[in-house]
Amino acid sequence: MARKRRLSWFHVAAVAIALFIALPLYWLIASSFKGAGDITSAAAFPPHPSGANYVNAFSGYNFGTYLANSAIVSVATTAAVLCLGTLAGYALGRMPLRGKTAVMTALLMISLFPTIAVVAPLYLLMRDIGWLNSYQGLILAYTALMLPFAIWILRNYFLGIPKEMEEVANLDGASPLRTVVSVILPQALPGLFTAGIFTFVASWTEFIVALSLNSADRYRTIPVGIALFGGQFTTPYGTIFAASAVAMLPIAILVLVFRRAVVSGLTAGAVKG
Amino acid sequence: MAANTLERRAARRGWVFASPALLVVGAVMIFPVIFSVVMSLSNVSVTGNGIGLSGITGANYSVLVHAPRFWHAVEFTVVYTACTVTVETVLGTMIALVLERLQAGRGWMMALMLLPWTLITVVSAELWGYIYNGVYGVLDAITQAFGVPGVNVLGTPVSAAVAMGVADIWKTTPFVAIMVLAGLVMLPDDVTEAARVDGAGAWTIFWRIRLPLLRPALAVAVMFRILQAFGLFDLPYVLTQGGPGTSTESLALLGYRVLFNDLDFGPGAAIAASTALIVLVVCLAFLKVFRAQVGEQKG
Repeated sequence: MARKRRLSWFHVAAVAIALFIALPLYWLIASSFKGAGDITSAAAFPPHPSGANYVNAFSGYNFGTYLANSAIVSVATTAAVLCLGTLAGYALGRMPLRGKTAVMTALLMISLFPTIAVVAPLYLLMRDIGWLNSYQGLILAYTALMLPFAIWILRNYFLGIPKEMEEVANLDGASPLRTVVSVILPQALPGLFTAGIFTFVASWTEFIVALSLNSADRYRTIPVGIALFGGQFTTPYGTIFAASAVAMLPIAILVLVFRRAVVSGLTAGAVKG
Repeated sequence: MAANTLERRAARRGWVFASPALLVVGAVMIFPVIFSVVMSLSNVSVTGNGIGLSGITGANYSVLVHAPRFWHAVEFTVVYTACTVTVETVLGTMIALVLERLQAGRGWMMALMLLPWTLITVVSAELWGYIYNGVYGVLDAITQAFGVPGVNVLGTPVSAAVAMGVADIWKTTPFVAIMVLAGLVMLPDDVTEAARVDGAGAWTIFWRIRLPLLRPALAVAVMFRILQAFGLFDLPYVLTQGGPGTSTESLALLGYRVLFNDLDFGPGAAIAASTALIVLVVCLAFLKVFRAQVGEQKG
């Protein structure tokens, strides 16, 4: 009896948690289907559901451009981070480097540093080399910004791979780079997934660097585009939510499909011990 | 001797592998931080094709020290961080405890909890701005249904800060909960089992046994959140614009405005450097946590 009661108490709590998380998300999606006349309505369901906001986001605003820019920057950043991060993570995880503990500690701290501390010099640097309002400038900045955490995740995965694997490859005369690519990498694939998803999500959602470096309409990413939607006095909420729903879709699917990789990344080595 | 040479060669190779990544991080992350500090200690003049630095001066910091707006931003950021991280940690732990007991549907809950994390903060700020809207926001409609006359939550300093905190807590608590849950799952069962056999109640077991064992996991989550919260920018930029007045202006927002709106690179760099300094102090306070992270699983 007592056991049954406690069980139901936890179910009520679980439902409350689910509602707390889901209701604002529902409101975002529902409001994206409200036409101009309904956007001020607080009805639980859009009175006259319409897709006009979705059309308007692409035709009335340059949301298509922002979407493409975000995709280009996020994909390129993820690729660059995975290439550089795999090599560094492998070296720091498995090779006898002196001072690697200090390097790892420093990287972990840098990965948590507030971006405001670097954004002004970064702006001046990019201006000097003419990379303001460009893809390569933002990709370079993001690569540096996301690398420390990715190295961190990858290094933890590399630590877990048995040492015998590469010793055998060494005996067979494989070069170090070859060993990494054909022996270690397949083993570390889950780690690459996790690091890749984290990098992609961080690039997709980053705001302050994108706002500072790429403010020209042609090079805005989704967060900058959405923040600067509309004028000084009106906020076109319907259009914003339609754009937001479109921006959310690919990343939500990605994260839900690779849920395990994300959860293991959130706890990357973190909470063992 | 031979082994030593081999080891040295392997080490050299290791640095070759690590150096491209470390160079990029050094050039694009570490160098800018140092440059911010240098800039904050110089007379900065903005010219047509860049900025000029001359001399060493404390003037930029003296401007800050005498600016109430700076001290307000420091105070706001510290209080805001302390409050939101406390609520998120307590709430996140409670959610993790509920999820741990949950048999069916845990996978779905995890999936749902990941969604706010993937949401662009700017989008979440727009969403909460719409919810809080003083004229037609749904919050207003709900309070009016309960007979409470509508209030413009973003209209007064304290309620605006609380409203922003709620938006923040909504987005980041699930993240804390997942980290704590991972810690809970890894706790050894035999210790709690032994305590139960000895007649300890659920309450005692949680406070005296599980919570102390959970401390490392909690420390990591709290450290992550404190450092993230310190960079608070997207939310006030979109949701409150730092207002009403400058009441919800965070250090990062103030720094951004001084740098990019006022083009005051000297004081702006001083704000950026001060933020970095505060964060560094927090990092050093958590050095044990960092060390534990790096030291474990040593190969």
